[in-house]
Amino acid sequence: MQDRRSPFFATYYLIILFVLYFPLGILFLFSINDGVIFAFPLKGLTLHWYQDMFGNTELLQAARSSLLVAVASSVAATALGTTAAIALLRFQFKGKTPFVALALVPLLVPYIILGAALLILFAGLQVERSLWTVMIAHTIVSLPYALLVIMARMVGFDKHLEEAAADLGSTYGYTLRRVILPLIAPAILAAWLVAFTVSFDEFILASFLIGRRPTLPVYLLSQMRFANRFPQVVAMTVVVMLASLSLVLLAQWLQRKGTVSTQVAPAGQIARLPGFEDISFQVEGVGKSSE
Amino acid sequence: MPSGELAVLEWAGYEIPEMWADFGKDYPDANVMFNFGASDPDIYGKVLAGSSEDIIHLYTPFLNFYVEEGLIEPLDVSRLKNWDKVPQGFKDACTIDGEVYCVPWDWGYSSILYRTDKIPEGVDSWAALFDSKYAGHISMWDDGPSAVSVGSYIKGYDEQNLTDDQLEEIKQMWIDQRDKNLFYWVDEPALEEAISSGDIWAAYGWNGAFYRLLQAGVPVAYADPTEGRNSWIGQYAISSKSDNYDLALAFLDEKLGQETATHLLVDYAYGHPVPEYFSVVEDPLLIQALSLDDPGILERTNFTVPISSADRDRFTEMWAQVKAAP
Amino acid sequence: MLKNRSIASSLLLPSAAWLFLFFILPMIGMVIFSFRPDMRGGPFKLGWLPSITHYQNIFTGDIYLPLLWLSVRVAFSVALFATLLAFPLAYFLVFHAGKRSSLYLTLAILPFWTSFLLRIIAWKTILGSNGLINNLLIYLGLVNEPVRILLYSRLAVVVTLVYVWLPFVALPIYASLLRINPSLLEAAAILGASPWRSFFRVTLPLSLPGVIAGFFMVFIPTVGEYITPILVGGTRGSLYGNIIELYFGDGVNWPLGAALSVVMLVGVLIMALLVSRLVDFRRLVS
Repeated sequence: MQDRRSPFFATYYLIILFVLYFPLGILFLFSINDGVIFAFPLKGLTLHWYQDMFGNTELLQAARSSLLVAVASSVAATALGTTAAIALLRFQFKGKTPFVALALVPLLVPYIILGAALLILFAGLQVERSLWTVMIAHTIVSLPYALLVIMARMVGFDKHLEEAAADLGSTYGYTLRRVILPLIAPAILAAWLVAFTVSFDEFILASFLIGRRPTLPVYLLSQMRFANRFPQVVAMTVVVMLASLSLVLLAQWLQRKGTVSTQVAPAGQIARLPGFEDISFQVEGVGKSSE
Repeated sequence: MPSGELAVLEWAGYEIPEMWADFGKDYPDANVMFNFGASDPDIYGKVLAGSSEDIIHLYTPFLNFYVEEGLIEPLDVSRLKNWDKVPQGFKDACTIDGEVYCVPWDWGYSSILYRTDKIPEGVDSWAALFDSKYAGHISMWDDGPSAVSVGSYIKGYDEQNLTDDQLEEIKQMWIDQRDKNLFYWVDEPALEEAISSGDIWAAYGWNGAFYRLLQAGVPVAYADPTEGRNSWIGQYAISSKSDNYDLALAFLDEKLGQETATHLLVDYAYGHPVPEYFSVVEDPLLIQALSLDDPGILERTNFTVPISSADRDRFTEMWAQVKAAP
Repeated sequence: MLKNRSIASSLLLPSAAWLFLFFILPMIGMVIFSFRPDMRGGPFKLGWLPSITHYQNIFTGDIYLPLLWLSVRVAFSVALFATLLAFPLAYFLVFHAGKRSSLYLTLAILPFWTSFLLRIIAWKTILGSNGLINNLLIYLGLVNEPVRILLYSRLAVVVTLVYVWLPFVALPIYASLLRINPSLLEAAAILGASPWRSFFRVTLPLSLPGVIAGFFMVFIPTVGEYITPILVGGTRGSLYGNIIELYFGDGVNWPLGAALSVVMLVGVLIMALLVSRLVDFRRLVS
């Protein structure tokens, strides 16, 4: 797009960035504060909270639980979204609109309601609450995003490639594996990333549906009761933040290193999804190669 | 010597071996596992939903629910070697209709925690939480039944027998109090931070917070109100689903042991029910925090009473209405 | 379009089954549960007699419905401000950031990866009466005493939520702006339109789907929000979600909580139906 350098917009961006990162800076300061109460002025610098954190098995366990749930639910949501998207966009059958509406309705349900409803369901079915029940809930709320991202990508594609494969005698399974999936791979990755993000820091559904093992956000809130453990939790947050920053920068670097754009449509002329120009953000954001 | 496995539904922090040191020493072959709940209703919800731990760590407000729903077993106190060391007030808190259902363990006070430099005249009544002089600097705990307790203390009503009109009065008191209250605190670190920074001058607080603020050098005092302090008591009960009654009973008995008491008092600044162990506390700040230097304090204290589930629903609805009022 | 029914069904079945089991069923379950008079006997008890006592409580009392309306208004302000603030951000990323726009976008989204609870707690040290904003205002001589309304108030809830959602709202707007064919803007310029005119007549209308999507992405969850009010809302900051949470938590009155949830859900669905006129689902799959 145009490359005008306007000081107003650049300044605006920097201000927003500053506002977004400032509280994170404060969190960092407290993770090295040699005191337990979270207030200024600082009492002295120390790294011992980080040491304590690595020795705190519960905290590490909670982080691990969050990771497990996030991976499981994001994989599930992506798989479900991909299969549904392929069915919706490449096959003909009745009832597509109701299905899409149903798949997207979770977007309209505040998490507290969904959490409560699943709580009632699991209690009624005598299913014990656990990380699995959290994973199930996270999949439900991630599915709409996954579906939209992948559908947006698929609409832009020329179906002729798939038809050509069929003409050349391949089974649908083969076409699926070797033609369709590789072409929509960036969208799958993007969908997975969105789903992972939704799940990892999610608090409400987790707090309603965990069993014995808390996820990280839930554990965090429970630790607020114990003042002497709280700084360790802050230290963990800083670690998570740095880890995700490195991951993302790594992803950016890898992408620049020359992943080929797998878009079929010419860059800059992304096919419009009638009535849905709004979605598909992650596709451009993550898979975009240089113009 | 009984061995075997026990599962305890516990609050975070109490699973460490120091908190059941005596049991660990006397029953080295027993295997104790811990599952966690985040709060009273969470634990209650889990047990109600069929969670199968042998031992449950609950607090007095919820005792009645467990008994009503048949979730816990009565205890055979003749087999508790430490039972007689427990003061009557604590025993009563565990007794319903003549049956003892639990062993008291951790306990502490609820009173008005205040900044002595901001309120030099001191605080001697629960009414301080409603005083316009401190408007904008008061913080109440976010808990309906406690709000009802405080209201009852001030008005002189009987908490266990409140008429609808009396409850309505208490509700209106708290609705009016909202303008003087800065925020309802949910967890102690937030409260301590606010008192430390001077945002809050007077708050409904527990002695753990008092102790930590004293240690941090903040000028605070813990009121001894004319209506009496409130005291909360944590209790251990045996689940009616347990197959391990004997071992569980031993665990409860050993909670009243000396080593456990020492750790609870000194490490966590919470009270232990057996007074003869209090002499282990040497830190003057801790003595102050636990009011150990005040022998008559327990008599002046209103222990949190068990309430019926109907009352709990009424009180919660009252609190919801206080929050929702325009 | 392929017509192979069996492949289509096997592709659609997993998601359909998941949605049915874990979304439709629980929602129906919740509606049914809302007619249960109380929690005696635990969640599993069967054979209770349905009663509309909770709905009566909600609709005849004057507590819950006004609070719901308040929550809707708060959610609306949050969504509005977040969208307004996010728009220039997205605009910058698409039209002014050039080759690095993806990196800049990522940097803006990254705070989202830290615990939102802790971000709010950190925010409290900024908003508090001893906090950085007040320190700055006093230092600059703009006020004599700390401005107390910044924390523990409804305003604090709105400000905090806008802060939390801002990066997220920028995404759909960004996507929308990205899809605008640059030749349209070039054409507008060639035809003599000023940059402002071009913005209002071309860019803004084309970005509207993204703006609306972003708005609702914030609005819907915020209607049910309860954590932020607990942390920064003070005594007047409670929202409808807090009451629901109270009844599923300390209140141990799930049926009343369920009834309150059903009422909120119906309200939200009605609003969504009205708005769905703007986005036509049928065109999505034809």
